[in-house]
Amino acid sequence: MPERFGEIMTMLMGALALGYVVYEIERRRRKLHDLWDVLDGEDAFLTEKLEDMVESGELRPYTGMTLA
Amino acid sequence: MSAAPHEDNVIDPPHIERAPSPATDEPSTAARFHIFIVDSGWNSAAHRVLVENFALIRNLQKDDPIYVLSREQSIEFQRHHGSRIGRDPIIAVHDMEALDKGGAAGFHGFRLSLGLLRTPQQALMGLQAFVRFLVTHRRSTDLEADIRANLRREGLMGAIEIIMHHEVREIGE
Repeated sequence: MPERFGEIMTMLMGALALGYVVYEIERRRRKLHDLWDVLDGEDAFLTEKLEDMVESGELRPYTGMTLA
Repeated sequence: MSAAPHEDNVIDPPHIERAPSPATDEPSTAARFHIFIVDSGWNSAAHRVLVENFALIRNLQKDDPIYVLSREQSIEFQRHHGSRIGRDPIIAVHDMEALDKGGAAGFHGFRLSLGLLRTPQQALMGLQAFVRFLVTHRRSTDLEADIRANLRREGLMGAIEIIMHHEVREIGE
């Protein structure tokens, strides 16, 4: 009986450790994708707006070396 | 765009110097990227890191134009895209090659939400990784694949670190 209990506990702890690793990897993956995001169709409106601002001269290449 | 009212939780706007003339200041080679900086001026570590390192970024990224939205333009942008509030400074990169080929309907660039990085060290590392990627992938024939491969590699590195119990690459805590 104690041997069986030990086996169950080992399996349980192993499953918990594996679950934590999977959870942590997924959490970091989501965070990374939040930080770095590709621009696609969902961003089309904004992209076109920014490019229009460039085309119209409202936005010009920034030539300064300081921002503040 | 109309000017937004001053808010206590924003600091002074980036000083915008206008280019004297596009004819004299355009990059010498055809620009692969158009880089846009949206920063409404939150008093954050990411904002300070961007301001302090801008000259270096400018020097490393001379071949592509950088467009800096004024604080008023940035706030207006945030008002229309509320979900992006607190993520700025945002650096959006338009891949002009992809835009010329397929327009804005498909993949056409990428965006770094620098404001999600909470400490100066994280923000600096994020900015360095961003500039490194831009410089090394300027002539890429498939930028989308490169970005996705990069993200996969970073994800894999993160997984290895979790298993090895290292936290050095922890992002955005």
